[in-house]
Amino acid sequence: MTTTHEERPSVGADPLSLPPQPVPDAVTAPFWAALAEGRLAMCRCGDCGLWLQPPLERCRRCAGPTRFADVAGTGTVYSFIVQHRATVPGYLDDLPYVVALVELDEQAGLRLPARIVGVDPAQVRCGLRVRAEFADLPGGDFTVAVFRPVDGL
Amino acid sequence: MSRSLEGAAVVGIGRSPFVRSSGRTTLSMAAQAAREALADCGLTAADVDGFTCYSTGDSAGPSQVAHAIGVDDLGWSLSVLGGGNIVTSTVAGAAAAVLSGQAEVVVVYRVLGSQTRYGRALERIEVDGEGQFAGPHGYLVPPQWFAMFCRRHQYEYGSTAADLGAIAVQERDHAVRNPHAVARSPITLDDYLNSRWISEPFRLFDCCYEIDGAVAIVVTSAERAADLPHRPVHLLGAADSNRFGGSVDQWDDLSCMYSRDTAPRLWSRTGLQPADIDVACMYDCFTFTVMATFEDFGFCAKGEVGDYFRAGRATYGGDVVVNPHGGLLSEGYIHGLNHHYEAVLQLRGEAGDRQVSGAETALVTSGAGPFGGALVYGTAAA
Ligand SMILES: [Zn+2]
Repeated sequence: MTTTHEERPSVGADPLSLPPQPVPDAVTAPFWAALAEGRLAMCRCGDCGLWLQPPLERCRRCAGPTRFADVAGTGTVYSFIVQHRATVPGYLDDLPYVVALVELDEQAGLRLPARIVGVDPAQVRCGLRVRAEFADLPGGDFTVAVFRPVDGL
Repeated sequence: MSRSLEGAAVVGIGRSPFVRSSGRTTLSMAAQAAREALADCGLTAADVDGFTCYSTGDSAGPSQVAHAIGVDDLGWSLSVLGGGNIVTSTVAGAAAAVLSGQAEVVVVYRVLGSQTRYGRALERIEVDGEGQFAGPHGYLVPPQWFAMFCRRHQYEYGSTAADLGAIAVQERDHAVRNPHAVARSPITLDDYLNSRWISEPFRLFDCCYEIDGAVAIVVTSAERAADLPHRPVHLLGAADSNRFGGSVDQWDDLSCMYSRDTAPRLWSRTGLQPADIDVACMYDCFTFTVMATFEDFGFCAKGEVGDYFRAGRATYGGDVVVNPHGGLLSEGYIHGLNHHYEAVLQLRGEAGDRQVSGAETALVTSGAGPFGGALVYGTAAA
Protein backbone atom coordinates (compact mmCIF):
# COMPACT_ATOMS: atom_id res chain seq x y z
CA MET A 1 0.00 0.00 0.00
CA THR A 2 2.79 2.38 0.79
CA THR A 3 3.66 4.70 -2.03
CA THR A 4 6.61 6.87 -2.71
CA HIS A 5 6.61 10.45 -3.81
CA GLU A 6 7.71 9.32 -7.25
CA GLU A 7 4.71 7.03 -7.63
CA ARG A 8 2.16 9.55 -6.50
CA PRO A 9 0.25 11.29 -9.25
CA SER A 10 1.45 14.77 -9.89
CA VAL A 11 -0.77 17.42 -8.42
CA GLY A 12 0.33 19.67 -11.23
CA ALA A 13 -0.51 23.32 -10.99
CA ASP A 14 -3.01 22.91 -8.18
CA PRO A 15 -1.44 21.55 -5.02
CA LEU A 16 -4.78 21.90 -3.26
CA SER A 17 -6.59 19.37 -5.41
CA LEU A 18 -5.78 16.25 -3.40
CA PRO A 19 -6.50 15.64 0.27
CA PRO A 20 -3.54 14.64 2.44
CA GLN A 21 -2.50 11.08 1.65
CA PRO A 22 -2.00 8.59 4.49
CA VAL A 23 1.46 7.20 5.17
CA PRO A 24 0.84 3.72 6.61
CA ASP A 25 3.39 2.28 9.01
CA ALA A 26 4.07 -1.21 10.29
CA VAL A 27 1.16 -1.03 12.73
CA THR A 28 -1.43 0.81 10.65
CA ALA A 29 -0.88 -0.86 7.27
CA PRO A 30 -3.56 -3.56 7.84
CA PHE A 31 -6.18 -0.82 8.33
CA TRP A 32 -5.49 0.51 4.83
CA ALA A 33 -5.13 -2.95 3.33
CA ALA A 34 -8.57 -3.91 4.64
CA LEU A 35 -10.15 -0.76 3.21
CA ALA A 36 -8.63 -1.57 -0.17
CA GLU A 37 -10.57 -4.84 0.01
CA GLY A 38 -13.79 -3.11 1.00
CA ARG A 39 -13.60 -3.97 4.69
CA LEU A 40 -13.47 -1.68 7.69
CA ALA A 41 -11.20 -3.32 10.25
CA MET A 42 -9.99 -1.95 13.55
CA CYS A 43 -7.16 -2.94 15.83
CA ARG A 44 -8.17 -5.32 18.62
CA CYS A 45 -6.39 -7.13 21.43
CA GLY A 46 -6.26 -10.86 20.79
CA ASP A 47 -6.24 -11.61 24.50
CA CYS A 48 -8.70 -9.27 26.22
CA GLY A 49 -10.71 -8.04 23.24
CA LEU A 50 -10.13 -4.31 23.76
CA TRP A 51 -10.47 -2.26 20.58
CA LEU A 52 -7.59 0.16 20.11
CA GLN A 53 -7.61 3.34 18.05
CA PRO A 54 -5.10 4.52 17.02
CA PRO A 55 -3.73 0.99 16.55
CA LEU A 56 -0.97 -0.36 18.78
CA GLU A 57 1.39 -3.28 18.37
CA ARG A 58 0.51 -4.46 21.88
CA CYS A 59 -2.62 -3.89 23.94
CA ARG A 60 -2.38 -0.90 26.27
CA ARG A 61 -4.41 -2.73 28.90
CA CYS A 62 -2.94 -6.23 28.98
CA ALA A 63 0.04 -6.02 26.60
CA GLY A 64 -1.48 -8.83 24.55
CA PRO A 65 -0.82 -9.13 20.82
CA THR A 66 -3.19 -7.21 18.58
CA ARG A 67 -4.74 -7.94 15.19
CA PHE A 68 -7.20 -6.22 12.92
CA ALA A 69 -10.77 -7.44 13.02
CA ASP A 70 -13.71 -6.39 10.85
CA VAL A 71 -16.29 -4.13 12.44
CA ALA A 72 -19.96 -3.84 11.50
CA GLY A 73 -19.43 -0.37 10.07
CA THR A 74 -22.34 1.09 11.99
CA GLY A 75 -22.10 3.87 14.52
CA THR A 76 -23.31 7.18 15.85
CA VAL A 77 -22.21 10.73 15.14
CA TYR A 78 -20.55 11.77 18.40
CA SER A 79 -19.76 15.26 17.13
CA PHE A 80 -19.22 16.96 13.77
CA ILE A 81 -18.07 20.10 12.02
CA VAL A 82 -19.07 21.76 8.81
CA GLN A 83 -15.95 22.83 6.98
CA HIS A 84 -16.61 26.03 5.05
CA ARG A 85 -13.10 27.13 4.17
CA ALA A 86 -10.18 25.35 2.59
CA THR A 87 -7.79 24.89 5.48
CA VAL A 88 -6.66 21.42 4.42
CA PRO A 89 -6.07 20.40 0.80
CA GLY A 90 -8.72 18.48 -1.05
CA TYR A 91 -12.53 18.52 -1.34
CA LEU A 92 -12.47 22.10 -2.57
CA ASP A 93 -15.42 21.34 -4.85
CA ASP A 94 -17.30 19.84 -1.92
CA LEU A 95 -17.24 22.85 0.41
CA PRO A 96 -18.92 23.00 2.77
CA TYR A 97 -18.26 19.39 3.77
CA VAL A 98 -19.04 17.56 6.99
CA VAL A 99 -16.51 15.67 9.11
CA ALA A 100 -17.72 13.72 12.11
CA LEU A 101 -16.28 11.69 14.89
CA VAL A 102 -18.20 8.47 14.42
CA GLU A 103 -18.48 6.32 17.51
CA LEU A 104 -18.49 2.73 16.35
CA ASP A 105 -20.97 0.28 17.82
CA GLU A 106 -18.26 -2.17 18.86
CA GLN A 107 -17.08 -0.24 21.92
CA ALA A 108 -18.04 2.93 23.78
CA GLY A 109 -15.60 5.69 22.90
CA LEU A 110 -14.12 3.88 19.87
CA ARG A 111 -14.18 6.66 17.29
CA LEU A 112 -13.12 7.31 13.74
CA PRO A 113 -12.98 10.70 12.05
CA ALA A 114 -14.70 10.53 8.68
CA ARG A 115 -16.61 12.55 6.13
CA ILE A 116 -20.38 12.27 6.27
CA VAL A 117 -21.96 11.97 2.83
CA GLY A 118 -25.41 11.90 1.36
CA VAL A 119 -26.96 14.48 3.67
CA ASP A 120 -27.46 18.23 3.78
CA PRO A 121 -24.91 19.57 6.29
CA ALA A 122 -27.73 21.41 8.06
CA GLN A 123 -29.42 18.08 8.80
CA VAL A 124 -26.48 16.44 10.57
CA ARG A 125 -26.91 16.05 14.32
CA CYS A 126 -25.03 14.52 17.22
CA GLY A 127 -26.57 11.10 17.76
CA LEU A 128 -27.26 10.49 14.08
CA ARG A 129 -27.01 6.82 13.14
CA VAL A 130 -24.62 6.20 10.28
CA ARG A 131 -23.18 3.32 8.26
CA ALA A 132 -19.80 3.05 6.56
CA GLU A 133 -19.34 2.87 2.84
CA PHE A 134 -16.20 2.92 0.79
CA ALA A 135 -14.85 5.65 -1.42
CA ASP A 136 -11.70 6.10 -3.44
CA LEU A 137 -9.45 8.68 -1.86
CA PRO A 138 -8.65 11.29 -4.52
CA GLY A 139 -5.08 10.52 -5.47
CA GLY A 140 -5.73 6.97 -6.57
CA ASP A 141 -3.82 4.88 -4.05
CA PHE A 142 -6.16 4.49 -1.10
CA THR A 143 -9.71 3.66 -0.14
CA VAL A 144 -11.38 5.44 2.78
CA ALA A 145 -14.49 4.74 4.81
CA VAL A 146 -17.05 7.52 4.71
CA PHE A 147 -20.37 7.39 6.52
CA ARG A 148 -23.94 7.92 5.39
CA PRO A 149 -27.06 8.31 7.53
CA VAL A 150 -28.73 4.93 8.02
CA ASP A 151 -32.34 5.96 7.67
CA GLY A 152 -32.03 8.83 5.25
CA LEU A 153 -33.22 12.25 6.25
CA MET B 1 12.33 17.79 50.11
CA SER B 2 10.06 20.55 48.92
CA ARG B 3 6.93 19.26 47.26
CA SER B 4 5.95 22.61 45.80
CA LEU B 5 7.32 25.27 43.53
CA GLU B 6 7.37 27.88 46.28
CA GLY B 7 10.82 29.31 46.41
CA ALA B 8 10.90 30.04 42.69
CA ALA B 9 9.91 33.33 41.15
CA VAL B 10 9.65 35.08 37.81
CA VAL B 11 11.84 38.16 37.91
CA GLY B 12 12.14 39.30 34.31
CA ILE B 13 9.95 39.48 31.23
CA GLY B 14 10.77 40.39 27.64
CA ARG B 15 9.28 40.15 24.17
CA SER B 16 9.75 41.09 20.56
CA PRO B 17 7.21 43.11 18.61
CA PHE B 18 4.13 41.07 17.69
CA VAL B 19 3.41 41.35 13.96
CA ARG B 20 1.60 39.40 11.27
CA SER B 21 4.74 38.79 9.25
CA SER B 22 8.12 39.83 10.56
CA GLY B 23 10.55 38.59 7.93
CA ARG B 24 12.81 37.70 10.88
CA THR B 25 14.34 34.43 12.00
CA THR B 26 13.18 32.68 15.12
CA LEU B 27 16.71 33.04 16.49
CA SER B 28 16.61 36.82 16.08
CA MET B 29 13.25 37.23 17.78
CA ALA B 30 14.02 34.80 20.61
CA ALA B 31 17.34 36.52 21.27
CA GLN B 32 15.62 39.89 21.42
CA ALA B 33 13.02 38.65 23.89
CA ALA B 34 15.69 37.00 26.05
CA ARG B 35 17.86 40.13 26.11
CA GLU B 36 14.86 42.24 27.08
CA ALA B 37 13.87 39.84 29.83
CA LEU B 38 17.35 39.97 31.32
CA ALA B 39 17.57 43.76 31.02
CA ASP B 40 14.18 43.94 32.72
CA CYS B 41 15.56 42.28 35.84
CA GLY B 42 19.02 43.83 35.77
CA LEU B 43 20.83 40.61 34.90
CA THR B 44 23.25 39.87 32.09
CA ALA B 45 24.13 36.85 29.99
CA ALA B 46 26.88 36.09 32.49
CA ASP B 47 24.23 35.48 35.16
CA VAL B 48 22.32 32.93 33.07
CA ASP B 49 23.07 29.23 33.38
CA GLY B 50 19.81 27.71 32.18
CA PHE B 51 17.70 27.99 29.04
CA THR B 52 14.56 26.18 27.97
CA CYS B 53 11.88 26.44 25.33
CA TYR B 54 8.98 24.46 23.98
CA SER B 55 8.29 24.15 20.29
CA THR B 56 6.87 21.92 17.61
CA GLY B 57 10.30 21.67 16.05
CA ASP B 58 9.87 25.08 14.49
CA SER B 59 12.30 27.30 16.37
CA ALA B 60 15.90 27.97 17.26
CA GLY B 61 16.89 25.87 20.26
CA PRO B 62 17.88 26.91 23.77
CA SER B 63 21.62 26.48 23.32
CA GLN B 64 21.54 28.55 20.12
CA VAL B 65 19.56 31.38 21.67
CA ALA B 66 21.77 31.39 24.77
CA HIS B 67 24.86 31.57 22.61
CA ALA B 68 23.34 34.35 20.51
CA ILE B 69 22.90 36.60 23.53
CA GLY B 70 26.39 35.97 24.89
CA VAL B 71 26.02 33.05 27.30
CA ASP B 72 29.33 31.18 27.11
CA ASP B 73 28.79 28.18 29.35
CA LEU B 74 25.20 27.04 29.56
CA GLY B 75 24.79 24.49 32.33
CA TRP B 76 21.16 23.45 31.76
CA SER B 77 19.47 23.36 28.37
CA LEU B 78 16.13 21.72 27.73
CA SER B 79 14.11 21.78 24.52
CA VAL B 80 10.59 20.49 25.02
CA LEU B 81 8.44 19.15 22.20
CA GLY B 82 4.95 20.53 22.50
CA GLY B 83 2.65 23.47 22.12
CA GLY B 84 0.15 25.11 24.41
CA ASN B 85 -0.26 21.83 26.24
CA ILE B 86 3.30 21.88 27.51
CA VAL B 87 3.76 25.51 28.64
CA THR B 88 3.04 24.82 32.28
CA SER B 89 5.41 21.86 32.38
CA THR B 90 8.13 23.95 30.79
CA VAL B 91 7.83 26.88 33.20
CA ALA B 92 7.40 24.56 36.18
CA GLY B 93 10.37 22.56 34.92
CA ALA B 94 12.50 25.68 34.91
CA ALA B 95 11.41 26.39 38.47
CA ALA B 96 12.22 22.82 39.46
CA ALA B 97 15.68 23.18 37.92
CA VAL B 98 16.25 26.25 40.05
CA LEU B 99 14.90 24.66 43.22
CA SER B 100 16.98 21.53 42.74
CA GLY B 101 20.18 23.45 42.07
CA GLN B 102 20.60 22.40 38.45
CA ALA B 103 20.54 26.05 37.43
CA GLU B 104 20.33 29.39 39.17
CA VAL B 105 18.88 31.66 36.51
CA VAL B 106 16.76 30.15 33.74
CA VAL B 107 15.34 31.85 30.65
CA VAL B 108 12.13 30.31 29.30
CA TYR B 109 11.09 31.38 25.81
CA ARG B 110 8.74 30.63 22.95
CA VAL B 111 9.12 32.10 19.49
CA LEU B 112 6.91 31.76 16.43
CA GLY B 113 8.03 32.73 12.93
CA SER B 114 6.02 33.06 9.75
CA GLN B 115 6.76 29.46 8.81
CA THR B 116 4.48 28.33 11.63
CA ARG B 117 0.75 28.70 11.15
CA TYR B 118 -1.30 26.02 12.81
CA GLY B 119 -4.71 27.10 11.55
CA ARG B 120 -4.11 25.92 7.99
CA ALA B 121 -2.19 23.04 6.50
CA LEU B 122 -2.61 23.63 2.79
CA GLU B 123 0.88 22.35 2.07
CA ARG B 124 0.31 19.00 3.73
CA ILE B 125 0.31 16.28 1.09
CA GLU B 126 1.02 13.30 3.34
CA VAL B 127 0.18 12.49 6.94
CA ASP B 128 1.53 9.81 9.21
CA GLY B 129 0.83 8.90 12.82
CA GLU B 130 -2.71 9.40 14.06
CA GLY B 131 -3.19 12.11 11.45
CA GLN B 132 -3.33 9.44 8.74
CA PHE B 133 -6.85 8.54 9.88
CA ALA B 134 -8.11 12.12 9.83
CA GLY B 135 -6.14 13.98 7.17
CA PRO B 136 -7.60 12.07 4.21
CA HIS B 137 -11.04 13.33 5.28
CA GLY B 138 -9.93 16.94 5.19
CA TYR B 139 -9.66 17.04 8.98
CA LEU B 140 -6.21 17.93 10.27
CA VAL B 141 -5.88 21.32 11.99
CA PRO B 142 -6.69 22.68 15.47
CA PRO B 143 -9.66 24.91 14.54
CA GLN B 144 -11.35 21.78 13.25
CA TRP B 145 -10.52 19.73 16.35
CA PHE B 146 -11.83 22.28 18.81
CA ALA B 147 -14.88 23.11 16.73
CA MET B 148 -15.62 19.40 17.16
CA PHE B 149 -15.36 19.86 20.94
CA CYS B 150 -17.52 22.96 20.80
CA ARG B 151 -20.28 21.20 18.88
CA ARG B 152 -20.48 18.47 21.49
CA HIS B 153 -20.71 21.08 24.26
CA GLN B 154 -23.54 22.79 22.40
CA TYR B 155 -25.31 19.45 22.12
CA GLU B 156 -24.87 18.54 25.79
CA TYR B 157 -25.26 21.91 27.49
CA GLY B 158 -27.08 24.12 25.00
CA SER B 159 -24.27 26.67 24.73
CA THR B 160 -24.70 29.02 21.78
CA ALA B 161 -22.91 31.12 19.23
CA ALA B 162 -23.82 34.18 21.32
CA ASP B 163 -22.03 32.60 24.29
CA LEU B 164 -18.86 32.19 22.25
CA GLY B 165 -19.33 35.72 20.96
CA ALA B 166 -19.49 37.08 24.49
CA ILE B 167 -15.98 35.74 25.05
CA ALA B 168 -14.65 37.14 21.77
CA VAL B 169 -16.19 40.56 22.39
CA GLN B 170 -14.91 40.75 25.97
CA GLU B 171 -11.36 39.83 25.06
CA ARG B 172 -11.26 42.30 22.20
CA ASP B 173 -12.58 45.00 24.52
CA HIS B 174 -9.64 44.30 26.82
CA ALA B 175 -7.15 44.45 23.93
CA VAL B 176 -8.20 48.02 23.14
CA ARG B 177 -6.11 49.09 26.15
CA ASN B 178 -3.11 47.00 25.16
CA PRO B 179 -0.70 48.76 22.78
CA HIS B 180 1.12 45.47 22.15
CA ALA B 181 -2.00 43.70 20.86
CA VAL B 182 -2.31 43.07 17.14
CA ALA B 183 -6.12 43.40 17.10
CA ARG B 184 -7.38 46.44 19.02
CA SER B 185 -10.55 47.51 17.24
CA PRO B 186 -13.60 46.79 19.38
CA ILE B 187 -16.09 44.29 18.00
CA THR B 188 -19.77 43.83 18.73
CA LEU B 189 -21.74 40.64 19.03
CA ASP B 190 -23.11 41.36 15.55
CA ASP B 191 -19.59 41.66 14.20
CA TYR B 192 -18.87 38.30 15.76
CA LEU B 193 -22.00 36.66 14.36
CA ASN B 194 -21.36 38.15 10.92
CA SER B 195 -17.75 36.97 10.75
CA ARG B 196 -17.26 34.19 8.24
CA TRP B 197 -17.47 30.53 9.03
CA ILE B 198 -14.18 28.71 9.31
CA SER B 199 -15.06 25.30 10.72
CA GLU B 200 -18.64 25.54 11.89
CA PRO B 201 -19.46 26.09 14.75
CA PHE B 202 -16.30 28.28 14.66
CA ARG B 203 -16.29 31.62 12.94
CA LEU B 204 -13.29 33.80 12.22
CA PHE B 205 -13.59 35.59 15.58
CA ASP B 206 -13.49 32.29 17.45
CA CYS B 207 -9.92 31.77 16.30
CA CYS B 208 -6.75 33.23 17.75
CA TYR B 209 -4.60 35.63 15.81
CA GLU B 210 -1.51 33.82 14.53
CA ILE B 211 1.50 36.11 14.41
CA ASP B 212 5.28 36.29 14.54
CA GLY B 213 6.93 37.11 17.84
CA ALA B 214 8.79 35.91 20.91
CA VAL B 215 8.30 36.06 24.67
CA ALA B 216 10.86 35.25 27.34
CA ILE B 217 10.61 35.08 31.12
CA VAL B 218 13.41 34.73 33.67
CA VAL B 219 12.98 32.26 36.54
CA THR B 220 15.21 32.20 39.60
CA SER B 221 15.06 31.57 43.33
CA ALA B 222 13.02 33.74 45.65
CA GLU B 223 16.24 34.52 47.56
CA ARG B 224 17.92 35.89 44.47
CA ALA B 225 14.70 37.62 43.41
CA ALA B 226 14.74 39.69 46.58
CA ASP B 227 17.85 41.50 45.30
CA LEU B 228 16.42 42.31 41.88
CA PRO B 229 14.58 45.48 40.84
CA HIS B 230 10.99 44.30 40.46
CA ARG B 231 8.53 42.87 42.92
CA PRO B 232 9.05 39.12 42.48
CA VAL B 233 6.18 37.08 41.13
CA HIS B 234 6.12 33.77 42.98
CA LEU B 235 5.03 30.39 41.68
CA LEU B 236 2.39 29.10 44.05
CA GLY B 237 1.85 25.77 42.33
CA ALA B 238 1.34 24.02 39.02
CA ALA B 239 -0.42 20.98 37.65
CA ASP B 240 -0.66 19.17 34.34
CA SER B 241 -2.86 16.43 32.92
CA ASN B 242 -2.49 14.18 29.91
CA ARG B 243 -4.92 11.53 28.71
CA PHE B 244 -5.49 9.48 25.57
CA GLY B 245 -1.98 10.15 24.34
CA GLY B 246 -3.13 13.60 23.32
CA SER B 247 -5.68 12.21 20.87
CA VAL B 248 -8.43 14.75 20.30
CA ASP B 249 -10.52 12.09 18.57
CA GLN B 250 -10.41 9.56 21.40
CA TRP B 251 -10.63 11.93 24.42
CA ASP B 252 -13.68 10.67 26.24
CA ASP B 253 -15.77 13.79 26.76
CA LEU B 254 -15.48 16.58 24.22
CA SER B 255 -17.63 18.92 26.30
CA CYS B 256 -14.69 19.37 28.68
CA MET B 257 -10.92 19.41 28.46
CA TYR B 258 -7.74 18.43 30.32
CA SER B 259 -8.77 20.99 32.92
CA ARG B 260 -11.30 18.50 34.26
CA ASP B 261 -8.29 16.66 35.74
CA THR B 262 -5.94 19.60 36.20
CA ALA B 263 -8.27 21.81 38.23
CA PRO B 264 -8.68 19.63 41.32
CA ARG B 265 -4.96 18.86 41.20
CA LEU B 266 -4.03 22.54 41.02
CA TRP B 267 -6.47 23.74 43.67
CA SER B 268 -5.34 20.94 45.98
CA ARG B 269 -1.66 21.75 45.52
CA THR B 270 -2.12 25.49 46.05
CA GLY B 271 -4.88 25.45 48.65
CA LEU B 272 -6.62 28.04 46.51
CA GLN B 273 -9.99 28.15 44.77
CA PRO B 274 -11.46 30.17 41.91
CA ALA B 275 -12.70 32.91 44.25
CA ASP B 276 -9.07 33.58 45.23
CA ILE B 277 -8.01 34.42 41.67
CA ASP B 278 -7.82 38.07 40.57
CA VAL B 279 -6.54 37.63 37.03
CA ALA B 280 -7.21 34.58 34.86
CA CYS B 281 -5.05 34.25 31.77
CA MET B 282 -7.06 31.51 30.13
CA TYR B 283 -5.44 29.77 27.18
CA ASP B 284 -7.59 30.85 24.27
CA CYS B 285 -6.45 29.32 21.01
CA PHE B 286 -10.20 29.47 20.45
CA THR B 287 -13.12 31.03 22.30
CA PHE B 288 -14.37 27.58 23.17
CA THR B 289 -11.12 26.73 24.93
CA VAL B 290 -11.94 29.51 27.38
CA MET B 291 -15.49 28.25 27.77
CA ALA B 292 -14.58 24.64 28.52
CA THR B 293 -11.61 25.33 30.78
CA PHE B 294 -13.32 28.18 32.65
CA GLU B 295 -16.06 25.73 33.59
CA ASP B 296 -13.60 23.00 34.45
CA PHE B 297 -11.58 25.26 36.74
CA GLY B 298 -14.79 25.95 38.62
CA PHE B 299 -15.49 29.60 37.91
CA CYS B 300 -19.03 28.68 36.92
CA ALA B 301 -21.18 25.67 36.12
CA LYS B 302 -21.32 23.91 32.76
CA GLY B 303 -23.26 25.95 30.24
CA GLU B 304 -23.10 29.21 32.21
CA VAL B 305 -20.05 30.87 30.71
CA GLY B 306 -22.04 33.02 28.30
CA ASP B 307 -24.18 34.45 31.08
CA TYR B 308 -21.09 34.94 33.23
CA PHE B 309 -19.37 37.03 30.56
CA ARG B 310 -22.50 38.97 29.61
CA ALA B 311 -23.03 39.91 33.25
CA GLY B 312 -19.61 41.57 33.33
CA ARG B 313 -18.20 39.06 35.76
CA ALA B 314 -15.11 38.35 33.60
CA THR B 315 -13.89 41.93 33.41
CA TYR B 316 -12.94 44.89 35.61
CA GLY B 317 -15.31 45.23 38.55
CA GLY B 318 -16.46 41.64 38.17
CA ASP B 319 -15.39 38.38 39.77
CA VAL B 320 -12.14 37.82 37.88
CA VAL B 321 -10.55 39.61 34.95
CA VAL B 322 -10.12 37.13 32.10
CA ASN B 323 -7.28 37.89 29.71
CA PRO B 324 -6.81 41.61 30.40
CA HIS B 325 -4.30 41.75 27.52
CA GLY B 326 -6.84 40.44 25.04
CA GLY B 327 -5.48 36.91 25.03
CA LEU B 328 -4.33 34.89 22.08
CA LEU B 329 -7.54 35.96 20.36
CA SER B 330 -6.56 39.63 20.25
CA GLU B 331 -3.06 40.26 21.59
CA GLY B 332 -1.77 37.47 19.39
CA TYR B 333 -0.72 33.86 19.49
CA ILE B 334 2.66 33.29 21.11
CA HIS B 335 1.54 29.83 22.13
CA GLY B 336 0.50 30.95 25.59
CA LEU B 337 3.78 32.31 26.91
CA ASN B 338 2.42 35.82 26.45
CA HIS B 339 -0.15 34.87 29.12
CA HIS B 340 2.75 34.50 31.56
CA TYR B 341 4.12 37.90 30.53
CA GLU B 342 0.74 39.48 31.21
CA ALA B 343 0.28 37.74 34.55
CA VAL B 344 3.67 39.01 35.73
CA LEU B 345 2.91 42.54 34.54
CA GLN B 346 -0.42 42.52 36.38
CA LEU B 347 1.03 41.18 39.63
CA ARG B 348 3.77 43.78 39.55
CA GLY B 349 1.13 46.47 39.17
CA GLU B 350 2.76 47.63 35.93
CA ALA B 351 -0.05 46.97 33.45
CA GLY B 352 -0.88 50.64 32.96
CA ASP B 353 -4.33 51.40 31.57
CA ARG B 354 -5.40 47.81 31.91
CA GLN B 355 -4.11 47.21 35.45
CA VAL B 356 -6.38 45.02 37.53
CA SER B 357 -6.42 46.92 40.78
CA GLY B 358 -5.03 45.07 43.75
CA ALA B 359 -4.13 41.97 41.70
CA GLU B 360 -2.41 39.46 43.98
CA THR B 361 -3.04 36.11 42.31
CA ALA B 362 -3.08 35.07 38.67
CA LEU B 363 -4.14 31.77 37.15
CA VAL B 364 -2.39 30.94 33.89
CA THR B 365 -3.73 28.01 31.91
CA SER B 366 -2.22 26.32 28.88
CA GLY B 367 -3.41 23.77 26.42
CA ALA B 368 -6.68 22.47 25.07
CA GLY B 369 -8.35 19.14 24.60
CA PRO B 370 -6.81 16.04 26.16
CA PHE B 371 -3.70 17.64 27.58
CA GLY B 372 -2.60 20.84 29.24
CA GLY B 373 -1.84 22.43 32.54
CA ALA B 374 -2.09 25.51 34.70
CA LEU B 375 -0.19 27.36 37.35
CA VAL B 376 -0.84 30.11 39.84
CA TYR B 377 1.37 33.10 40.42
CA GLY B 378 1.18 35.28 43.51
CA THR B 379 2.66 38.53 44.79
CA ALA B 380 3.64 36.80 48.02
CA ALA B 381 5.09 33.36 48.56
CA ALA B 382 2.36 31.12 49.92
ZN1 LIG C 1 -5.67 -6.63 25.97
